[in-house]
Amino acid sequence: MFGLPWHIVLPTLLGSVLVGLLSSFVGIFVVRMKLSSLGFAMSHAAFAGAALGLLFPLFDPMWMALVFSLVAAFLLGPLADVSRLQTDTILGVLFPVSMALGLIFVHQAPGGAAGGALTLLWGSVLGITMEQVWSLAAVALGLILLMIGWGKGFFALLLDRKLAQASGLPTRWYFYTVLVMTAVVVSISLRITGGLLIYALTVLPSSSAFQWVYDVKKAFLVGPLFGALAAIGGFGLSLGADLPIGSSIAVCAAVVFILSVGLSPKRLRARSAT
Amino acid sequence: MEDRVVELHNASVSYSGERVATLLNVDLSISHGEMTLVVGPNGAGKTTLLEAINGLLPLTGGTARVFGERMTPSRDDLRCHIAYLPQELFFDPETPFLTQDVVCAARFALIRLFRFPSPADRRYVHEALDAVGMNTAAKRPVGRLSGGQQRKVLLARALAQRARLLLLDEPTVNLDPQAKKEICQLVKQVQSELAATAMVVSHEAEHLLEDANRVVTLDQGRVVSDHAPVGGR
Repeated sequence: MFGLPWHIVLPTLLGSVLVGLLSSFVGIFVVRMKLSSLGFAMSHAAFAGAALGLLFPLFDPMWMALVFSLVAAFLLGPLADVSRLQTDTILGVLFPVSMALGLIFVHQAPGGAAGGALTLLWGSVLGITMEQVWSLAAVALGLILLMIGWGKGFFALLLDRKLAQASGLPTRWYFYTVLVMTAVVVSISLRITGGLLIYALTVLPSSSAFQWVYDVKKAFLVGPLFGALAAIGGFGLSLGADLPIGSSIAVCAAVVFILSVGLSPKRLRARSAT
Repeated sequence: MEDRVVELHNASVSYSGERVATLLNVDLSISHGEMTLVVGPNGAGKTTLLEAINGLLPLTGGTARVFGERMTPSRDDLRCHIAYLPQELFFDPETPFLTQDVVCAARFALIRLFRFPSPADRRYVHEALDAVGMNTAAKRPVGRLSGGQQRKVLLARALAQRARLLLLDEPTVNLDPQAKKEICQLVKQVQSELAATAMVVSHEAEHLLEDANRVVTLDQGRVVSDHAPVGGR
């Protein structure tokens, strides 16, 4: 395919699809719970962590990305819950700090690591091995099990956190689990989409899904479908036009979003009613 | 059955950063089956009182007992028997939830992990929607319903939940006079069907006054009067 052997193309294609499915799945939570800024901060933190991983290459940089992303989640979640600081203020501090740290780590990384650093920023079409595809599949399986076991609580949380708490659900636990899910997906997707654009694949397909459906259960099917479509389209565009894969996926996700807004039956109905 | 459903002793709530307590040394005891109206000016602590009773807000002093057990923010096991209708909750038109799912979600804390709503749960949901006259809207998006219809759906949640205590915060706020009347009738109907205890915060209590056992007046976080309503039951 595109002059590349299948043993290179297949892992990236499968990885892209899984990243599309996973990111847009957690995107439903991120969009519905208005956590977009939080997701953005976590992806920047993941970039900083992965860059540190390049500087001290003891482990796969993904693990450092996960640690940084989780730290960001657990700083922001409780802070947003209990502190008197506005979330915007906390994010305003976290954004530049995580980017600055990431760039310092990249700058200090040994010369051979420069290519890896660019992969972390923009993603790489060749950045995925079959081993990493299995990691993505394991995360997907974990999310499915989580939804089968605790899906009712997450569903109630998405409706209204206070109502869910008042009806006897441990909403704090569910909220922090959403943060952990997002951190894990952002970190594990970093190699394909890059730290700067994973956010696009988290927010755009799920926002597109909400243009089409009135039922959040259906959004959990339509959102990942759009995410997978954007990932496959971005993968093809990247290989065909020799563009960075993260940017290509983000462009495809944006096209899906623009088409969804334009063709949304909800908006058409609202327009015809006025 | 525990006769005292709600007991507050010297209950106080202060929000962090505020010098004046929102609720101050409140003593209150509500018996099983009572309907209590809570009235008072804006900022009197009415919403805080309800949220302290169901443990959404931690007490900064005193104790709260519900169904004979100490209520704290971690007592989800008690809260799953309490229906709470928040004052400010209205669903916007984009809310991606069907009416029947909004009602069913009230039962989720009662369903075990790795279990889905059973046929019995669904029956509760449809009976509840039927009771409030909203069965025909079961599959409609909740955000597309009018304010009055949304209030009915939230009352249906109390029925589906089989709640033993209803805490209703301004159930008639922002509704037209006809809808206010309907909601007040439904509050009485829901309370009677569940044989539940009810506390209703309301500025517009006239429709509920004749059915209330008590009227508790709050002012600046304190109970300033607690008596049977004039002409009440």
